[in-house]
Amino acid sequence: MKAEGDIYVVHRLLDEQICDSEGKRVGRVDDIELSGDPPRITALLVGEGLYPRRLPRSLARLARRISGPEVWGKNALRIPWEEVDELTSTVKLRKKAEELGLGLGDDPDRWIVRRLPWN
Amino acid sequence: MRAILKIALGIIAAIGGFLDIGDLVFTTQAGALFRYDLLWAVVLGVVGIAVYAEMSGRVAAVSGRPVFDVIRMRMGFGMGLAALIASTIVNVLTLAAELGGIAIVLELLFDAPYSMFVVAAAIALVGIVALLPFGGIERFFGYGGLLLLVVVATVFHQNPDWGEVGRGFIPSIDSSTLYLYFVVGVFAAALMPYEVHFYSSGAIEERWTEENLKENRLNAIVGYGVGGILAVGLVIVSGFLFHPLGVEPDNLGTVALPMQGAFGETGLLLALGGMLFCVGGAAIDSSFAASYNLAQFLGWEWGRYQGPRKAPRFTASWLVFLLLGIAIAQSGINPVDITEYSVVLAVVALPLTYLPVLLIAGDRSFMDRYANGRVASFLGWLYFAVIVVLALAAIPLLLATNAGGG
Repeated sequence: MKAEGDIYVVHRLLDEQICDSEGKRVGRVDDIELSGDPPRITALLVGEGLYPRRLPRSLARLARRISGPEVWGKNALRIPWEEVDELTSTVKLRKKAEELGLGLGDDPDRWIVRRLPWN
Repeated sequence: MRAILKIALGIIAAIGGFLDIGDLVFTTQAGALFRYDLLWAVVLGVVGIAVYAEMSGRVAAVSGRPVFDVIRMRMGFGMGLAALIASTIVNVLTLAAELGGIAIVLELLFDAPYSMFVVAAAIALVGIVALLPFGGIERFFGYGGLLLLVVVATVFHQNPDWGEVGRGFIPSIDSSTLYLYFVVGVFAAALMPYEVHFYSSGAIEERWTEENLKENRLNAIVGYGVGGILAVGLVIVSGFLFHPLGVEPDNLGTVALPMQGAFGETGLLLALGGMLFCVGGAAIDSSFAASYNLAQFLGWEWGRYQGPRKAPRFTASWLVFLLLGIAIAQSGINPVDITEYSVVLAVVALPLTYLPVLLIAGDRSFMDRYANGRVASFLGWLYFAVIVVLALAAIPLLLATNAGGG
């Protein structure tokens, strides 16, 4: 299935797992950017900075205090819809994670556990 | 032929891996307090876990989605987060109980203090995870758990009044709150949510596809079915030996005593050895479940097959959960008490795990021709209703009975 045509956005896209062109898991569709009239999907929004806006208002303020404000390019990333290759059981991107600024949390250089002696 | 052998080996491991500390504790206590009256609740629980394990394995194999993928997709971020928090608390408590359980068994087998064994157990688990591939880890504990087949031999050796045993399989409701508490406990111990978190993620670890669906079904029906016989056996041997004496087991070691009564030291060693593998395997399953859930909910790379280099956050979170488990197990709280709290709290978390699985498994847009048929659908919703009723009853019963303490 190519990434075009009508889909049930909330049913099939929101909260889905995102994988880069090499199949690496690099985050989830935390929000979706719609623009135009009629609205079309223009980008996927990814990052922990977006979590508070997914919570009920009473909890959002607390969550905002924990996660800090949305900083675009840092804890909130915009992945243009053109970068989406395929929608299967995951949202597959056309590029590698690094080119889009994704998956930095799983950069092995940040983690001592990479030295653990099992592959 | 080799394919059949491989499937058979997997099923045998499922049999041996069926029991965990919750099953050991609740079945033995149920037998001691109510003799064979709660056997029906054990069967109810075993069928329930088979239904949901089959469903979650099928969803994972067909749609490529493990349970927490499904939870976040169907429940959304907010309710999904609630499910994540509840599941994580239950999984870490379960892990602590299993680590404590390993330490108690080791304490009985070798003469050294409990606290030393908690740490030794955790180090041994890290070593096993490091040395064995995913399938090997499962089989190591699964085969070892088969030592508990000595329970079945003990049943025949005791030769109980079979008519009375048979009547235990007919559901009966006793109005005492303690009885109801044990109905919930025995049922919930069989349906602990970490089992489906682990099972479905394991299906992804082992790269299951539609071709593994037969294996999945056999695992659920034969593996869990025969595993359930061990749970039934534990109720019977405990009911036969402890009920007439009025003993109330509050120590994990008591679980093994009927086997000693029947076969002397050999029986005792087989029982303790089997318990060690079962509880050790469950410590792996519950700790992995905690990390699988976190990584899947947040979209991190995950999996034992990825190793620490490719999935560092997943690996680090596993080690953190293990440390938390050690800390709780070392706190001096009796692991049997931790077990009871984790099992009863698990009932409350169960609907949040099982509803999304049920919704996706029945959704043809994800599952195509592998969606739930009439039988799976009927059983799934029936059990969901049972789970919701028990979830509502669990906390009041826990408080009313002082966690089964009467």
